[in-house]
Amino acid sequence: MSCVNVNGKQIAVDDDGFLDDPEVWDEEIAKAFARLEGVDELTDEHWKVIRYLRDYHKQFGVAPMIRKLCKETGFDLKKIYQLFPSGPAVGACKLAGLPKPTGCV
Amino acid sequence: MKSPLRMAKEQDLQTIGLSTVADDLLKPRLLTQLGRLRGSMRSLAVMLDTCVKCGNCVEQCHSYLGTGDPLNAPPARADLMRKLYRRHFTLPGKLFGRLAGAKDLDSEMLDNWLTYFYQCNECRRCAVFCPFGIDTAEVTIAGRHLLSELGIVPRFMQQVALNLQKTGNNMGIPAPALLDCVEFIESEIEEETGVAVKIPVDRPDSEILYIPSSADFFTNVDTIVGAAKMFHMLGVRWTVASAMLEAANFGFLFHLSAMQDHSLRMRRAAEQLGASLVVQGECGHGWRAARMVTEAASGPVPFELTHILDFTARHLERLSLRKLPLRVALHDPCNYVRAGDLVEQPRRILRACVEHLVELQPNREETFCCGGGSGILMEEMMEIRMKLGKKKAEQIQAAGRIDYLAAPCSICKAQLPHVMNHYAVPEVAIGGIMDLVGKAIDLTSSTGGSGA
Repeated sequence: MSCVNVNGKQIAVDDDGFLDDPEVWDEEIAKAFARLEGVDELTDEHWKVIRYLRDYHKQFGVAPMIRKLCKETGFDLKKIYQLFPSGPAVGACKLAGLPKPTGCV
Repeated sequence: MKSPLRMAKEQDLQTIGLSTVADDLLKPRLLTQLGRLRGSMRSLAVMLDTCVKCGNCVEQCHSYLGTGDPLNAPPARADLMRKLYRRHFTLPGKLFGRLAGAKDLDSEMLDNWLTYFYQCNECRRCAVFCPFGIDTAEVTIAGRHLLSELGIVPRFMQQVALNLQKTGNNMGIPAPALLDCVEFIESEIEEETGVAVKIPVDRPDSEILYIPSSADFFTNVDTIVGAAKMFHMLGVRWTVASAMLEAANFGFLFHLSAMQDHSLRMRRAAEQLGASLVVQGECGHGWRAARMVTEAASGPVPFELTHILDFTARHLERLSLRKLPLRVALHDPCNYVRAGDLVEQPRRILRACVEHLVELQPNREETFCCGGGSGILMEEMMEIRMKLGKKKAEQIQAAGRIDYLAAPCSICKAQLPHVMNHYAVPEVAIGGIMDLVGKAIDLTSSTGGSGA
């Protein structure tokens, strides 16, 4: 198991750099992950995506369909990639503290 | 370890009924299991006994061509297992060892197995060019299974298998989330067409059980949309099953017991819903596994089994299709054309749905793999995946201007955008064939209902 240092606290992540336990997520962790992903600053637009992902995951136990994410946030896929360069499944889910979507994606 | 693969740890392995094996037990365990496979998978013995090293396959293997690694040449890859097999299961190998091409197990051998059996896309192209028909995929399938028996399993495979076990699909979509997805897709279709198209979930007494790829409920929504519109227009009584929402059978790609579990799950779901026809969605290896091994793995099944592209091709005249003004290139998924008898059906559908069908060269049974085949979709394999996708990128590049690349398999859909981007192939939409059927279909001329 690896750890990421967030303001002096050691946060456990899996081999893909995703949070081991989605429950420990907080905004500081999102900010730390953002820096690792090459995103310098989290804007309101980033937070909108992150909050939607977290809410959906809390309710349904899985990441939402990408199309639904786009529709509900009002951002098209291109915009999501601008916000999270490694994409919705990797970058956005990681910052939101979700497990890495797996399977044929 | 040479391979960049991230491996499942002991506690991960236990979740799917596997475990690590102590060093001193590795060899006896491996030989017992290899002996078993030799008995149950006679094709494997043929593949291991037969090669004369003529080299015909070498330049036909995209893995060798893309990586330039001599151990990725099919005869060398198969030799990784063949040497051990000779040493323990043939008389010359037992008597003369290395002189007879035999070698005993050492840690380098296992390291090579992991590295090179996970750089083979199990695409079977070598078999097309082999005068004996030696299919390295059979050796790779056996090799990965044996590694899993020793507790050597990529974490990606373990996680997919765990998701299937927990939820009935690789993405890990629980039933309430599926219902949410379905509601969203139905409203999207209605918004687009003005027609209410249902995607029934667990509907009893269904004539057809449709088994999509679960990625259709994450990234490839248009594929399930196309299937739903098609079933709607035909007015058949169909359903998806929340307990079996996965055409992909990753067990086939890493552990044969997991493959059998998947097969049995499909059988149970069909029986429960009373389906007389099971239609598999756009997934290459899943179709190969379903078509080739379902009955061998779980006994005779009380239903017919077909693929959505075969089903659609057979019903084209009953679908009201308007040709889309697109130049569409077809990427033949390896498992369709070399292991699934889906060669002309995709073409018939495309000719009915779009104005221009562009053939990649080579095509049909000589197609090149996308480079992600056999579940090599791990992030940590990205650099190798790009090498494996090199031949495909060249083919697409050579096709000239196209508007859409039809890649009717979820692995291809996941892999190709990376490949195109990596090799700077001009950006083009990539998706399934059912996606295009869905866009070409004129629902307003529908006479049937959803069969509800």
